[in-house]
Amino acid sequence: MSTPHSASGHMPGAAEITAVPAGAWRQACLDANARGERFGGLFARRSASGPAQLRAVFSTPGSERLITCDATERTVETIVDTIPAAGWDEREAHDLHGINFTGHEPLRPLLDHHAPLAAWTVPTVGDDVHQVAVGPIHAGVIESGHFRFHVVGELILHLDVRLFYKRRGLETAATGRSLGEGIAYAQRACAACAVTNTVAYAQACEAALGLEPDDHLRRARTVLLELERVYNHLNDISAICAGVGFAAGVMAYAALKERAQRLNERLAWHRFLFDTVAVGRSAISLDSREAADARRELAAIRREHEAVWRQLGFVTSLQQRLEGVAALSAADAERFGAVGPAARASGLPHDHRLHSPRLHYGGFTAAVSDVASGDVAARTNQRALELRQSLELLDELLTRPLEHGTVRRRGGETRTAVGRVESPRGVTVCVIEREGDRLGALHLRTGSYANWPVLAHTVVGELMPDFPLINKSFELCYACTDR
Amino acid sequence: MSVAGAVAGAVQILGGVLLAPLIPGLIQQLKARLQGRPGPSPLQPYRELRRLWHKSGVAPFPRTVIYELAPPVVVASSLVALVMLPIGGRSPGWPVGHDALVLVGLLALARFAITLAAWDTGGGFGLMGASRELTFGVPVEAVLLMVLAVVVLPAGSTSLIALSDAAARPQVWGEPAHWAALLAFVLVMLAETGRQPIDNPDTHLELTMVHEGPLLEYAGRELAYLQWAAAARHWIMLVLATELFVPQPEPFMARLAVLVVSLPVWCGLLAVVETTQAKMRVLRVPLFLGAGGLVCLLGLASWFAGGGS
Repeated sequence: MSTPHSASGHMPGAAEITAVPAGAWRQACLDANARGERFGGLFARRSASGPAQLRAVFSTPGSERLITCDATERTVETIVDTIPAAGWDEREAHDLHGINFTGHEPLRPLLDHHAPLAAWTVPTVGDDVHQVAVGPIHAGVIESGHFRFHVVGELILHLDVRLFYKRRGLETAATGRSLGEGIAYAQRACAACAVTNTVAYAQACEAALGLEPDDHLRRARTVLLELERVYNHLNDISAICAGVGFAAGVMAYAALKERAQRLNERLAWHRFLFDTVAVGRSAISLDSREAADARRELAAIRREHEAVWRQLGFVTSLQQRLEGVAALSAADAERFGAVGPAARASGLPHDHRLHSPRLHYGGFTAAVSDVASGDVAARTNQRALELRQSLELLDELLTRPLEHGTVRRRGGETRTAVGRVESPRGVTVCVIEREGDRLGALHLRTGSYANWPVLAHTVVGELMPDFPLINKSFELCYACTDR
Repeated sequence: MSVAGAVAGAVQILGGVLLAPLIPGLIQQLKARLQGRPGPSPLQPYRELRRLWHKSGVAPFPRTVIYELAPPVVVASSLVALVMLPIGGRSPGWPVGHDALVLVGLLALARFAITLAAWDTGGGFGLMGASRELTFGVPVEAVLLMVLAVVVLPAGSTSLIALSDAAARPQVWGEPAHWAALLAFVLVMLAETGRQPIDNPDTHLELTMVHEGPLLEYAGRELAYLQWAAAARHWIMLVLATELFVPQPEPFMARLAVLVVSLPVWCGLLAVVETTQAKMRVLRVPLFLGAGGLVCLLGLASWFAGGGS
């Protein structure tokens, strides 16, 4: 197991604070970026007295840094020119807290839905250019999101995405709650990422309180995270088949997803694994019989998946639809801050499971395919690779019974901490600021939030009828952004 | 009018009008079975039609008479096409004749009316579907005409009755041209019935729709008419496939029996294709249909090289 303390003497997850004046904000962020620290989110928080405060998270595998500043004049310089991944974060901070980012021009509204069309869409002009509006109400049973395509014929020139239709203000609502209560808010952000979000939250709280999970707790949470990944990946492969109307694949993987969710229900009494994670403990325990039972079912799912997957490889009409569509280059994936299977399908080896001392991922290596072409086919194959890996991991983790874990005190308390967990869609970053035993601030930036702008970039130059397929190859949550 | 002609007329009307919805229903049911689902009953399209019939209509605004004319034009052209079809090589001799080229025109007219309605209301999904429908329409009609060009050779006439009689004789199967026409006709059938790999009648993804796109603007009885017309188009293509490409022994009742057996078999074929094939990329469709045209050209070449029979 990795050492509980990082080299700097901090708890893993405890954030190093770099407080700077507003004038030095940009330089501090760019310095961190230049040192090779990866951008993990930017947000503003209201302060009881005085100006709104800005936060930016940067990290290296062993350390977390929070750059903070008081936006006294409500104006700082933008970082989006150097770190394009911060685009949505800056627009959100502007819409929610009125902070201006000079140099980010035009600073288009993102959450502000009262803005006129011309204000939030990118003007796209030319002969035969027209707009196609899709949503926010869709024909399928999905969440609300509005897509505005700028097209010539079937060719997509640009896509403006407007989400946040059902934004609930969970982060603000959680402020002032006790750390224990706060986890419910993180969980409610999104059902399909419930475990990831709550584990990220619990890790942040435990890091701030100087607590460290024991081996039982690490294993329990790792099992839950991988169970979540398994049913999500099964669902996503089914959705990709639906995107090209290949019903046999849709049905086979939908059936497997159903099996996985029924297993969730048997193990944790909830199909989406709700209420299985808490700060400082785990709500799941499995005796050796239950664990063996789960292993058997997972082995059956794996056999079935391997068989169906092999068959899908022979369906030429399906494979032809996936290959070469919406390729995301490794350089673009890095630049726009892509995360998760989408980033790995482009050849980036980012997987936060590699750097998770608070979880049980000893000896884990990120699954990267030989053909990391970054297209829909690569993203589909990536999920199949990771599915096998997760099922193998679960098989190993469940060889022993699972006990309720606990935490040990290992370090000093800090005010601010970051929880970082690899969700089925990419790394999710949860920042908490503690005021006593209460939440001073909560910020949740999920893998979906990071990847939505990447999706919008990727569809440029593709065909309109391929959009549902491309969208499903990312399969991002709306709810995760409607937090 | 002979007894056979009267029976054929009854099948044209009752089959085309009343039994047509059973065809998409049967395909749905077979598809579900192939995918391991129980699926809806084959009667589901009738339930859909009943539901739509009793719903109030909602029409988009602004619209003109073009939008309102589309359903009657589509229904009327389908009805005329229905009585033009020979049943077992017979027909009671309706005053519309049996010219195959007129049938192609009627199918094109229905397509034209519905796509024009999409332009009338200007809905984004409708326009996308309509433009794809027209893009595919060009090769579909061209290939259908080429299929006819091949099958008229042994018949020496463009009358569907003559074509059916020529195809009913076993010696026509000695001609490679006939096989080529069969292959091309299957491609046209997939396109005209709006089935995979060309179109997906089951999709809810508006961005991918072809035939369903322009229908999105309709509701209530207008939609019921259009859905019936889509079913009637299945009937037309499947009956045509049987009449032109299934060997049929005389007498008439035997040919009728062949038709009764063939229709579910064609449904099964469409269900298998739809289950085993994903929908193809939209820009590949014209090429795919073009391959049908090429096969027809080969058929024509073989006919003239062989001197014909």
